[in-house]
Amino acid sequence: MTTKNLPTPRSVALGLAVTAVLLIYIYAYPRLIISWLGTENPWTSYLYLYGFGAGFFMMGIFIILRTGACQLDRGHDKLWFWVLMLGFIFFAVVHALWIVASLNIPYLGV
Amino acid sequence: MQEGFGIDLPLTATIVIGCIVVGYFILITGFGTYFSRFSRDINDFFFSGQRFAWWLAAASMVATGIGSYSYLKYSEQGFLTGTSSTMTYMNDWFIVPFFMFGWLPIIYFARVRSIPEYFERRFNRTARYIAVCIIMAYMFFYIGYNLFTIGVALQGMFGLPILYSVPVVAFFLGAYVTFGGQTAVIFTDLFQGVMLYIAGGLAIMAGIWALGGFSEWWAYLPESHRLPFVHLTDDPKFNTAGLFWGEALAGSIAFSFMNQGFIMRYLAIKSVHDGRKAALFNVIVTLPISAIIVGAVGWVAKSLVMKQAVEGGALEGINAVHIENTFHTFIVVTWETLHQNSILFGFVIAALTAALMSTIDTLINACAAIGIYDIYKPLIKPDADDKHYLKAARWASVIATVVGVLLVIWFAQQRGSLMQIHYKGIMVIIPSIVTTIFLGVFWKRFTAPAACISMLVGAVFTLITNWYPDWIDPLSRFVCGPDNDVYIYMRALFGMVVTGIFGVGISLFTQPRDAEEIAGLTVDTIDEGMAKYKGGKPNHTVGKKARHLPVAFDESLEHNVIRISPSTMETLKAEEGDLIYMADSRWYLGGLRSEHVKVAAPHDREDDAVLLSKATFEEAYLLDGKAVTLEKIF
Repeated sequence: MTTKNLPTPRSVALGLAVTAVLLIYIYAYPRLIISWLGTENPWTSYLYLYGFGAGFFMMGIFIILRTGACQLDRGHDKLWFWVLMLGFIFFAVVHALWIVASLNIPYLGV
Repeated sequence: MQEGFGIDLPLTATIVIGCIVVGYFILITGFGTYFSRFSRDINDFFFSGQRFAWWLAAASMVATGIGSYSYLKYSEQGFLTGTSSTMTYMNDWFIVPFFMFGWLPIIYFARVRSIPEYFERRFNRTARYIAVCIIMAYMFFYIGYNLFTIGVALQGMFGLPILYSVPVVAFFLGAYVTFGGQTAVIFTDLFQGVMLYIAGGLAIMAGIWALGGFSEWWAYLPESHRLPFVHLTDDPKFNTAGLFWGEALAGSIAFSFMNQGFIMRYLAIKSVHDGRKAALFNVIVTLPISAIIVGAVGWVAKSLVMKQAVEGGALEGINAVHIENTFHTFIVVTWETLHQNSILFGFVIAALTAALMSTIDTLINACAAIGIYDIYKPLIKPDADDKHYLKAARWASVIATVVGVLLVIWFAQQRGSLMQIHYKGIMVIIPSIVTTIFLGVFWKRFTAPAACISMLVGAVFTLITNWYPDWIDPLSRFVCGPDNDVYIYMRALFGMVVTGIFGVGISLFTQPRDAEEIAGLTVDTIDEGMAKYKGGKPNHTVGKKARHLPVAFDESLEHNVIRISPSTMETLKAEEGDLIYMADSRWYLGGLRSEHVKVAAPHDREDDAVLLSKATFEEAYLLDGKAVTLEKIF
């Protein structure tokens, strides 16, 4: 075994802090929306999906910007960056409108 | 009379439908075989020479993403839970940044030919062959599963025994994939995608018409069936929490990152920029429309049943619809709403077979690619010529088809529903390899020993949860997921967490590879990958396409080098040595006649002709008298 890949104390501290924040977020967020709306409310599923989805999505955005995979001053990267952001908003808005339409148009069945 | 799918087919209808299906098989086989002329070497055979326009690849993905089982499965889900059947198709956006700016440019610029090859270059040979085992298991599972499900459908409608019908279907499929390769797959899938949408749209419109219009359909759809999401945890087999962790994350990453068939489709596209367009189109347009096409008959069925209940019997113009077995929803509703018209129904059933063919042809081609690039070439015959490998690739396609057929015997002996077999298999196979790819791409300190051990340990632990599902309890409770010991999707989260913990832990105590060895294979080294791909410094200045340029021969030019006028250079914003994509100007060919070339110093002729050698002209499949369009890659 070698210790060459061991992180510096600063990296360890940062890693532990990020992990702790993530775990708290994953544990607390769904409990928060359930205590607020209950499990039967259709917006609970929406907020669960987009709350966690937004976290994962923004992690992706952070990584590609931080690593230089996406450089806003290079070629078409800026265009694609905005496509990514607008795509997320597009799906979130479509699903929200879908729920609104589901709840507000009268049902004629028995 | 055949009774198998809840409908009674008269003999004449059976004959008409059978003739349409067989005719379709022959048509598509002939269509696919025609494209064998565009496969001269194994690069053409598997990747079509990285030449296609984004729209062609994206359109062909429509059919690839819809399996023969999709119509039956999602119509059933649509009937049971309504429009939330779209959830698995419309939750992919969260991983798109990782794909567009991470995985896609890495595999494209590194010229990775197979996912296992990436494992060897990023980690080591052991990791490659662990990946080969897992990915081959995944793909053979899918080939056998799709063949089996179409066998079940044919047995249900025509009474044909599965063990006879499947080899016949496989013969037609194997024929065009074996001779045509990726080009045949792309063009037949394009055609079949159109078929799928027309047939699915026909079935939906017939149902909406029977209901009395779109507003009637929506008005009679219960609120629970209108909502885009199901309850957070209630249904053990279909709940929002499980779908997020197992499907939106693990499933979507598997779909985009480790599905060799889809990866090959992206590698057939002319540039990463166009690959991003294809990915965008796929997630924003193709997947949502596909979700509607495969599931909407179930939504219509629910409204039909509710409206029948209100009116006290059959709706005007059609027989009463009774769905005793929800698995039969698609067949029963389509048959009735099409007024039992054999020709139209036959067309829809042909689309079901199209769904099968277009999914399996991609998988067969992908299996053959792994067979050649990961097994035959590195282990059995490393130094043969291209002609030999092309022949071997065709034999590999035959073998992949035969193995798929043999697996049908195994599927036919399984107990339990097909859904259970499917998800149990996939959710066990996916998590460990998906996590390993993800860590490999986005964490440069991830080491080879960590990759090998975590893949194996993750796979074994995930497998064990089939017998000990209570191992998943704590994790599921932690994320407020379902707590019911079924855990179809939560199993994937468990597998990813175990693999991740082992991967990170072992990496900290093992030696990473030198940065130079993995340049271009991690997200922070994409620039280096791009420079290697081009063979020089990339030119990112955005130019315009130069369209409709005449071609002239200049035999003094090297192979795959062109010279163009200074004004064309200016239009393209190109510099000497830049990589240029040259294609026949007719856009509808989608890049079928095209090639990547390098641009030399501009010529001093008075016209805007593109100068190139005869060999380059022939390699691009260009035609005499036809103009070309140029586009700078970088």
